[in-house]
Amino acid sequence: MAWVTWRQHRHQLLIGLALIVGLALAALVTGLPMRTAYQREALSSCLPPTARSGCDIIVRHFQSEFGSRVDIARYLILLPALVGMFVGAPLLARELEHGTHRFAWTQAVTRRRWLLSKTLLLALAVTLSALVLSAIVTWWRQPFDGLEGRMSPSGFEIQGLVVPAYAVFALALGVLAGAALRRSLAAMSLTLAAFVAVRLAVAKLLRPRYESPEHETMAGLVPGAHARDWVLSNSLVDAVGRHISATREDLAILHAQQARIDPQEYLLSLGWRRALSFHPADQFWTFQAIEAGIFFVFAAALLVATVWLLQRSPS
Amino acid sequence: MTSPLVTHGVGKRYRRRWALRDCTLTVPERAIVGLAGPNGAGKSTLLGLTVGLFAPTEGRIDVLGRDPRRQPEVLADVGYVARDAPLYRSFTVRDTIEFARATNPGWDETIAGEFLTRLSADDRVSTLSAGGRARLALAVALGKRPALLLLDEPFARLDPLAAREFLQLLMDGVSELEATVVIASHVIADIERVSDHIVLLSEGHVRLEGSVEELVSSHRLLTGAARPLGRIPGVQEIVRERHSGRQMTLLARLNGRVVDTSWSVDEIGLEDLLLAYMAPERLPGPTAPEKGRLRWHG
Repeated sequence: MAWVTWRQHRHQLLIGLALIVGLALAALVTGLPMRTAYQREALSSCLPPTARSGCDIIVRHFQSEFGSRVDIARYLILLPALVGMFVGAPLLARELEHGTHRFAWTQAVTRRRWLLSKTLLLALAVTLSALVLSAIVTWWRQPFDGLEGRMSPSGFEIQGLVVPAYAVFALALGVLAGAALRRSLAAMSLTLAAFVAVRLAVAKLLRPRYESPEHETMAGLVPGAHARDWVLSNSLVDAVGRHISATREDLAILHAQQARIDPQEYLLSLGWRRALSFHPADQFWTFQAIEAGIFFVFAAALLVATVWLLQRSPS
Repeated sequence: MTSPLVTHGVGKRYRRRWALRDCTLTVPERAIVGLAGPNGAGKSTLLGLTVGLFAPTEGRIDVLGRDPRRQPEVLADVGYVARDAPLYRSFTVRDTIEFARATNPGWDETIAGEFLTRLSADDRVSTLSAGGRARLALAVALGKRPALLLLDEPFARLDPLAAREFLQLLMDGVSELEATVVIASHVIADIERVSDHIVLLSEGHVRLEGSVEELVSSHRLLTGAARPLGRIPGVQEIVRERHSGRQMTLLARLNGRVVDTSWSVDEIGLEDLLLAYMAPERLPGPTAPEKGRLRWHG
């Protein structure tokens, strides 16, 4: 079946390879100036917790110069969806659309083995490609990861173990959609919609709960503190720990400005303190492993469902 | 001797419509079975069930002693060419053969090779003629060395010359393999040439089944003056009757000799016989039946 998989998917594999090479070149071209600037400005000495004086200006300058590149790199989260749409969805839908399943599934290789071999071989190729891509991103983002960490979604979702997990999940989702809808275009649309829905649901609802977040209450905001952590909430509390609404905070700051007092000191004089809840940066690999595990389990469940559907469905 | 294909009360329903119902058949070993019937009679459904492409709604189907859905490994011994001979259009001839080799452990290069003599290995399937495609599909089906070969409308897109050539190749391959063959076609003339056994399907039911010899010898056309019909000695069943003026023609299944001399008794060819079972209004008139028994072409 390896030959069959290669023959039927060689174009997709070559396109994927070309995409990786292209992205590697782009990473090299855009990443080297970023690293040069990082070295030149000696930003490594600005990393929390030992921030020397003047760092806030240097860091802000660096971020404004290269921030847009990092924002663009966030679009890499779409790549797994493309795998699902263009590799996964047509896998069965195309056969069913063209009637070639009547040829493919009546050979000695059973349709279950046919499906499993093809899907698992493609999953392997997708995993390897995604790992390469994720390594490229890790190299590229290194300066930013030092400053901002990679715990928050913008860094977390495009590197590490989750990238292959998302891609394999998208692949399995596409294959199931193709088996259920039996039409490529419909299956591609469903794959995209379901992928985005599941990814968002996990990111918003599950990921903050992988571990219980840490809490810290501090007087005033220390610049650079928790910059590399994933801050879930950041709000003011009064002396007895009651939450202070944003409106009240704004009013207090306005009041301080009118009275020509430093707003931070005014807030402190009121006994208000800043309460943070966050996941610390050193949880990165724990979170990566949990999230990757979830998506690999999803992928396996989808594959089982596809096999079941294929065994019982009339074609 | 076990039968390569046995169905027990098999039925297949698509939503509300039964494509096949109460189908009970036993295909004799090494027979060449013509599966006849108009479009929509259930021929493709029966073949699809046989290769496990779908599951029967009711009944049981035995292919070489096994259930094609539960024991799909039986497909290693079943050659199947679906309607319109679906193949991967982007594959070359060589790719297609490589695919067949990769998906069939018992692949036989030499048998397949005989069918490919006039095809260039680098031709894409999409550029092949209908005849070329049919040959390639047959090569894949026969290269498995099947014990049972199923062909669904293999002549549908072939011109008469290509059809004859295809039949010749088929017969050569089959006699080499000693395989049992089922050929589904709505064109009776196509299967009449080669079949020694007939299954006639109509509206999802088996209308007629038997060896060609037995079917032809047990049916006669009786022509005589129109009269109220009672029991005619020697006639088991009147299949069709047609009136033209004061004459009437009966298609009768016999169980003995018709001794009543007021009937003129004529033999009926297989094609006319099957057409009569399929569509009553096409019963041939008294002059239609040919003197020859079976029309053998090719």
